Amino acid sequence: MKELSFEIKDKIGLHARPAGVLATNAKNFECEITVKCGDKQANAKRLLSLMSLGAVGGSTLHFTFDGKDEEKALEKISEVLNEQLG
Amino acid sequence: MSSLDKGKSTVYFGVGINSKKAHGKIRFYNENTHPVSQNEAFSSPTVKETRSAESEKARFFKALEKTVEKTKKTANLARTEIGEDEAQIFEIHAMLLEDEDFLESVVSALESGLSAERAVEKSAEDFYLQLRALGDEYLSARASDIKDIAGGLLLELGSKAENCEIEDDGQYILVSEDLTPSQTVRLDKNKILGFITFSGTPTSHASILAKAMGIPAVVGAQKIPTEYDGKYCLLDASSGKITVAPSESEKREFLKMCNQEKRIDTEHDKYMRSLLNTPAVTRSGHKVMIYANIGAKNEVDGALLNGAEGIGLYRSELSYLSRRAQPTEDELYSEYREVVEKMQGRRVIIRTLDVGADKQAPYLGIEKEENPSLGFRGVRFCLENKNMFLIQLRAILRASAHGRVGIMIPMISTLDELRRTRLLIKEAMDELLLRGQGYDKSIELGIMIETPASAIMADAFAKEVDFFSVGTNDLLQYTLAADRQNSKVSHLTEEAEAVLRLIKNAAEAIHENDGWIGVCGEMAADLRYTQELVSIGVDELSVSPPYLLGIRQKVCDSK
Repeated sequence: MKELSFEIKDKIGLHARPAGVLATNAKNFECEITVKCGDKQANAKRLLSLMSLGAVGGSTLHFTFDGKDEEKALEKISEVLNEQLG
Repeated sequence: MSSLDKGKSTVYFGVGINSKKAHGKIRFYNENTHPVSQNEAFSSPTVKETRSAESEKARFFKALEKTVEKTKKTANLARTEIGEDEAQIFEIHAMLLEDEDFLESVVSALESGLSAERAVEKSAEDFYLQLRALGDEYLSARASDIKDIAGGLLLELGSKAENCEIEDDGQYILVSEDLTPSQTVRLDKNKILGFITFSGTPTSHASILAKAMGIPAVVGAQKIPTEYDGKYCLLDASSGKITVAPSESEKREFLKMCNQEKRIDTEHDKYMRSLLNTPAVTRSGHKVMIYANIGAKNEVDGALLNGAEGIGLYRSELSYLSRRAQPTEDELYSEYREVVEKMQGRRVIIRTLDVGADKQAPYLGIEKEENPSLGFRGVRFCLENKNMFLIQLRAILRASAHGRVGIMIPMISTLDELRRTRLLIKEAMDELLLRGQGYDKSIELGIMIETPASAIMADAFAKEVDFFSVGTNDLLQYTLAADRQNSKVSHLTEEAEAVLRLIKNAAEAIHENDGWIGVCGEMAADLRYTQELVSIGVDELSVSPPYLLGIRQKVCDSK
């Protein structure tokens, strides 16, 4: 299992478009990717689930990657996060 | 005075989303026919209680397939008619339609015996309320996207009218509780002069679309009673003011403003294009360099396309934050070199690593701090992580052999920090000499003015560096001692007077020492400050590529 924490710098937060890009990328991996934000949890491969986190600018996302391609997934997701919300 | 002047107009306010204006009769679109959050479709004659769960499922999936297809078509329409960003709104809708959570919710509702219509409504309603409950304005604005996709499905299922059309032969200003993105993109521009919504927000996709389509719109407006249906009104989408049944003099004044703007509008595009090669010189002859802020090498094309005369701020953090380990000297060098080569001899100012505060990566090992914005960040971090700093400095120096490069140091507050940095630059140069690798020996060195200390001490710094660039976001925050992220105090950072005085004093001291000063923070792109900034002697404005032409125009218009 791998973990990643990311603080959203984008003022508006995890809005529809970055959430869409995130879910699209997450779907390419086999491992399970879960995101926690405060007391809410979401499946990173599902857009509505991500949007329902209500992750605003300044909040921190905690990712866990569990599965055989977890390392690659972490790398890609980290890249996507920095591009979309950095 | 005409008799109309006696009749009193009624004024309502909302949030204007662009600077457009419209006038004409208002027509109300009855939102109650919108099936989401209403249960009317249930009684629709097309729904028969006797349908089996299986046949309802089949109906739903058929409708889903068609709706996805249609949504993708709308995306293409938006792409050709409006733009890529706007098209992505509909790509997101297509994703939402096929979202597993949504589908699971609909399928379980279907299995519990609900009709396809009711299952769609129920699931959409659930997610709608869930998003609304987040409270956050931007995310709850997404609730209308859910309404939109549900509306599309219900349309396919045969229980909803498509567009918000009103039986009216003339042109009108549409008034509606809210508009969905697909309703907005399909608005008939020949009939709709503008629109007003009561519950829309400026960050909703409908507002973004309207803005891109150039439709005057005021959203989140105070409730206008429906008995005003058909009344003449003035809609000012810059101030958000709606005047129903205006007096003759109000109308005259408004039309005068409209005419002035129309003239600007039609000549606008041609004028903007002609600006590309026009030097940014104020009417009093002060030449201003218009540079671009970029964060990654792929932004250079956009900068050049919009007439950037140089790169005023190349944020180097991204290469660090997007990796899981520190980038190597060669990796950094190849990125910098690409930017420098594309700029073909125009100045490229690379800001050295500015991490800490809100910019973190696990491998950097920055500990959690009580007060990160007053903490271990910018050059403070680099001076304690000399090897990392030297790697970056060598990469920048090597890139300087391919064009015109400037090194800019962030978060400087003392002369000692600057001098220690200079020693490290010397050390990096010595290493390159030993290796036999080339660099520009007269490379320019500058500092960011982000701390009040650096602004006040500008005269001393000016004797040791070539240029300065003001990071207004941090300078405002530090000068007014107010966190921009804290909504209770962030209004204080709107008070720019103190910061403008700091910049003015710094500019005078810098010019006395033959240096130059630019501004690369948000204030540089804010047209409200352009006149003031050029008047106090700012030599360079550096903004994101989309703002380049607007700023160039504003500078040319300045005194």
